[in-house]
Amino acid sequence: MSQYLQHFLYPSSLFVSKEPFLVKTILGSCVAICLWDSRLKIGGINHYMLPHWSGNDLASPKYGNIAIDKLIDKLLFHGSRIEDLQAKIFGGGELMQTGGSRIQIGERNIRVARIMLEERKIPIVASSTGGKRGRKIIFFTDTGEVRHKLLDKKNL
Amino acid sequence: MNNLSDRQLLKELKQRLEAGKNSEKEIKDLTLELQSVSKKLKDSEALKSHFISNISNEIVNPFTSILGLSKAILSVEKHDWKKVVSMVALIHSEAFNLDFQLKNIFVAAKIEAGEIAPNIAKVNIRSLLQTVVDSFNIISRKMGISFDIQFNIEHGFGKNFYFKTDSEKLKLILSNLINNALKYSYKDSKVVISVWLDEDDVLKISVQDFGTGISEKNQQTIFERFKRLDTGINSINRGHGLGLSITKALLDVLSGDIEISSQKGEGSTFTISVPEAKNIVDGFSGEGNDIFFDEEDEIF
Repeated sequence: MSQYLQHFLYPSSLFVSKEPFLVKTILGSCVAICLWDSRLKIGGINHYMLPHWSGNDLASPKYGNIAIDKLIDKLLFHGSRIEDLQAKIFGGGELMQTGGSRIQIGERNIRVARIMLEERKIPIVASSTGGKRGRKIIFFTDTGEVRHKLLDKKNL
Repeated sequence: MNNLSDRQLLKELKQRLEAGKNSEKEIKDLTLELQSVSKKLKDSEALKSHFISNISNEIVNPFTSILGLSKAILSVEKHDWKKVVSMVALIHSEAFNLDFQLKNIFVAAKIEAGEIAPNIAKVNIRSLLQTVVDSFNIISRKMGISFDIQFNIEHGFGKNFYFKTDSEKLKLILSNLINNALKYSYKDSKVVISVWLDEDDVLKISVQDFGTGISEKNQQTIFERFKRLDTGINSINRGHGLGLSITKALLDVLSGDIEISSQKGEGSTFTISVPEAKNIVDGFSGEGNDIFFDEEDEIF
């Protein structure tokens, strides 16, 4: 595993590479979508914090709807075909105890992932979402494999 | 086929009527949804054209001035050479502004592409602040605005205070705040910059001007990109524009925050809070390979 190049993925950013990379990220209520192309054996991952862009801020991949489209676009730019893509989604926990009256951020983050991937006919082949704990994931861009670990609350 | 009894017929009719009603309602809902989507589309189209006009203002105007001024210099008579100095000063201020705007635009593009990450190092906050302030010296002098820097951090190593953060991002954040403070100041006033640490050792920097100020209602919206509070074409002051939305996005990267306090007519104070970055990203790099061979890992 040591021959892998490594990348730490920060919130609001995304990462796509043709070279085999090992991408690590830490998720709370954020969601990361790992997209993998089974034909070209390349992959990409995003890490968004909120479900929808309101049109006011910069249109950055901090927002799910933008992060998902940008990730797909970037893979298509690298020569992927949409029918070869498969997705794994992680995160969307509810770490903060909110009153419950507002719909929870984690839940909404997951929902936008499922809706948008279904619209684009990209199958979700694995997922670990929700719950009350954070996650650490490591994504291998060449094999599409994801190593996943739930974190103790204090780690976040 | 069997003949239907009256009762069965009635039941069937009722059901179909019901179904008809339901689908009508569904269509109504869908129409509403369609309307809201098309409104959003219109809004985003408007935003896009707004963007283009904004960008061209920020880039084309300075260029036009620079071209015009340099042409004027070329045709200055020898005995009028003193005029040149003031024209060069104007060229400098336009070029400075252009450079500033371009930096903002490129950073905005990077943020929107999701290609921005913190680049942490030990930063000498005092000298960083001084560098940023110095870069505005010519412009502030022209406007008769003086800077009052209040550095309220006691620290062991002489006057230097080091703080782990991303220096380039902090520089751009401060430049934007100072740029706005100057833009909204009246002539012959001052801009006060204070630096301190709060009780949790979070770095605080505030930039205060005594200019036009921002009404409470407008304070809610100034972080929206390309928002100008005074939308009139002839407004003397240019907009907060891209600057504040970039400032906010950069502060996100530094896990920081920004607050405004302002009173219309009395000036504004923007205060940023930046927590010190950890040495390295938790559990990543530098700590050997332990995280990669975690036995508790599930594989998906």
